[in-house]
Amino acid sequence: MKKKIIIGLSIFSLIFLLAGIYIITTIETATAKLDNLITLHQVEILREHLLINIKRVQSDLNLKSTRFARSIDTVILNVRNMEKMADKCFECHHSEDVLERLSELRNDIDKYKDALSRVFTIRANTGRLKAEEDSAFRTGENLITKVNNMISIASSKLEKKTQSALGNIADTKTVLYILLAIGPPLAAGIAFIFMRGFTRQVNVLLEATRSLKEGNLDYRIEGLKDEFEEVAASFNNMAASLKEQMYKMQRTEQMVVLGELAAGLAHEIKNPLTGIKLSMEVLSEKTFTSEEDREFILKIIDEIKRIDSLIKSLLKFARPPKPNLAVSDLNEILNDTVTFSLKHPSLSSKTSTSINVLKHFDKSLPELMADPMQLQQVFLNLLLNAIDTMQDGGTLFVKTSYDAGENTVQIEISDTGKGIDENAIDKIFQPFFTTKPKGTGLGLAITKRLIEQHGGAISAENNPGGGATFKISLPVKKEGKNL
Amino acid sequence: MVKVFILICVIIISGCSKQETTSPDETTPSTIDTTLVIGLIPERNIFNQIERYEPITGYVAEKTGVNIKLKVLTRYGNIIDNFVSAGLDGAFFGSFTYTLAHAKLGVEVLARPQYIDGTSTYHGLIFVRRDSGIKTVKEMKGKIFAFVDKATTAGYLVPLFYFKEHGIDNYRTYFKETYFTGTHQDAIYDVLNKKADIGAAKNTVYRRLADVDKRITKELVILEEFLDVPENGLAVRKDLDVSIKNNLKEALLNMHNDPAGKSALRDFGAEKFIETTDNDYANVYKYTKEINLDLATYDYINE
Ligand SMILES: Nc1ncnc2c1ncn2[C@@H]1O[C@H](COP(=O)(O)OP(=O)(O)OP(=O)(O)O)[C@@H](O)[C@H]1O
Ligand SMILES: [Mg+2]
Repeated sequence: MKKKIIIGLSIFSLIFLLAGIYIITTIETATAKLDNLITLHQVEILREHLLINIKRVQSDLNLKSTRFARSIDTVILNVRNMEKMADKCFECHHSEDVLERLSELRNDIDKYKDALSRVFTIRANTGRLKAEEDSAFRTGENLITKVNNMISIASSKLEKKTQSALGNIADTKTVLYILLAIGPPLAAGIAFIFMRGFTRQVNVLLEATRSLKEGNLDYRIEGLKDEFEEVAASFNNMAASLKEQMYKMQRTEQMVVLGELAAGLAHEIKNPLTGIKLSMEVLSEKTFTSEEDREFILKIIDEIKRIDSLIKSLLKFARPPKPNLAVSDLNEILNDTVTFSLKHPSLSSKTSTSINVLKHFDKSLPELMADPMQLQQVFLNLLLNAIDTMQDGGTLFVKTSYDAGENTVQIEISDTGKGIDENAIDKIFQPFFTTKPKGTGLGLAITKRLIEQHGGAISAENNPGGGATFKISLPVKKEGKNL
Repeated sequence: MVKVFILICVIIISGCSKQETTSPDETTPSTIDTTLVIGLIPERNIFNQIERYEPITGYVAEKTGVNIKLKVLTRYGNIIDNFVSAGLDGAFFGSFTYTLAHAKLGVEVLARPQYIDGTSTYHGLIFVRRDSGIKTVKEMKGKIFAFVDKATTAGYLVPLFYFKEHGIDNYRTYFKETYFTGTHQDAIYDVLNKKADIGAAKNTVYRRLADVDKRITKELVILEEFLDVPENGLAVRKDLDVSIKNNLKEALLNMHNDPAGKSALRDFGAEKFIETTDNDYANVYKYTKEINLDLATYDYINE
């Protein structure tokens, strides 16, 4: 948009500049032409003066032997004026052919002068005198014809030149009028197009915010350009994130309700269950109980224990305890948990021995503020899942590292097991999602909760070569800072 | 500002008067208002005469502080009439007109130019077309003779002497026609262009024209050359104020020593002006005596 405005403005000023230059140059050329015309007209006047002078001299000649004869001083003055006028022509004409014609004229004037001088000085019989006078007169008439010709040729040329100059000026005037007529609408048009482009996009944005206000979080802006496109993208992101936050809030609310419900229920179930369990234990120790019944009773006790642990887990998920922060060495906690998990009673000894463990701990890992018990719970959940998927053996890979840029600690736990079903990968962190017959589906949900309580994040992905990898990122919190 | 202007004027004037210390008359002429009218004889195209003499008279006017007005005359003889009627104070006289004016009016000759080629005199010529076959006076009989003016030495006086020398008593009957061309140049061209058969003119004009027109040397032939007489010089009326007369003379005689004067001389075509007295016209007097012409009573009006 900025670019467009700059380009638009530059084009606009360029057009203005060009028009300005055009106007100035045309005015200049027009005035130059007029100047030229004026000089040409002056030259024309000069020529006519010359003609008048020649005619005056010619009349001096005609009057010479009459009683109206002018004094010789006047005649001399007139001849000299005629000459001066002719010399003036040389002052401004420069083109070669004109110069040639002029010097021809000059020669003729000299001849005329000679003839005149002769007429005024000669003393002879009347015949000879008349002959000389006639010759001078003819020379003068010739001269007059020549100058007349010159004048008529020049004036016809001048007429043409004047016409063409006036025509040019008229053309210039029309162009100027056209420019004047076109200029403002053009400017207005360009401004309108710019403004429309601008307001249209702003309107789209306005429409979007309105629809967002009305609760349509799925509204997305499309088809905007330039800077507006970026604004639209931000808007779309905002809408998406608003929707997600809304969804999360709804879920949290649900969870809270569910937690309350579960906690109440668990509490109600816990006491009778303890009673049943105690009674069952007592019953199993009774001598009248047959061996066969004792086995049933032990199985019932097992199931009760499972119910008990489920209730405990449910309570943990619904009302997670506040983390008890302490300076924790992550490597140590993880290492201990790996060792513990491999000896976990829920695993068959066969499984634990056929699993190869690879550890890659970052020695320079900074200590961080966290609840060690909760972290142990997190790692245990993940490790147990990993080991669980490798019933027939495999490699467990645990890794820690430090990202100085983000100031976070990264923990990776990967296995070479069956991997997560592509359809399930979005759901594994949801409570009660499980693919295991005896699973509760609360392990990963609790894990996610705990990690988020620490301000961290967890994600899962399948390894390209089989198995899954869980990645945890925890912020390194400075001591004394509350979560 | 006014003071500066005055200062500049003083400097210019004092600069001018410094140059004038060369003139014998130490004081700047006080006769500022005096205007002299100087006549010019039609020795060349009458419309060029003023232009030709203006550098000289302009210089002299500035030097002497006298206004000079030039007046062109269409006839040589006019000069003598005009001296009285038009109130001329002086004139550049031809040698014959001078002797006439001297005899009739008592004019006093001051100076004459010495041209760049070193000449300060001229002489008369009689010439014909080469193809006319005229070689002697006998063959001139019944032809047309072109004089210049009755008041010229070369154009009339010497031909008269020539006629007398060769036994022509009355040229008017000896020739078919005689007329006066008015200028030396026209006399030469009239013969060249076959308007006349025989012509008389000054050698200086003849030479000047021959330099530019090759036809003259090729087609004309000179039959007779006469004695040298002084070039046209400046003579003034006898009653002109002595100091003005002296100033004019000194200005002319010294102008070649002054850069401004030198350039004026160059424009005129002369090297300098040389002193001239009545004695320099001895040859003119000789011719007039030979033909028994009385200068005091001579009728110079062309018929
Ligand atoms: N390492 C893993 N490899 C493959 N699938 C896994 C892995 N970890 C978890 N899962 C899948 O995620 C589901 C949810 O796991 P979660 O730990 O929440 O519950 P569970 O293991 O099924 O039950 P519980 O933890 O109560 O025994 C599992 O049922 C399993 O399908
Ligand atoms: Mg599990």
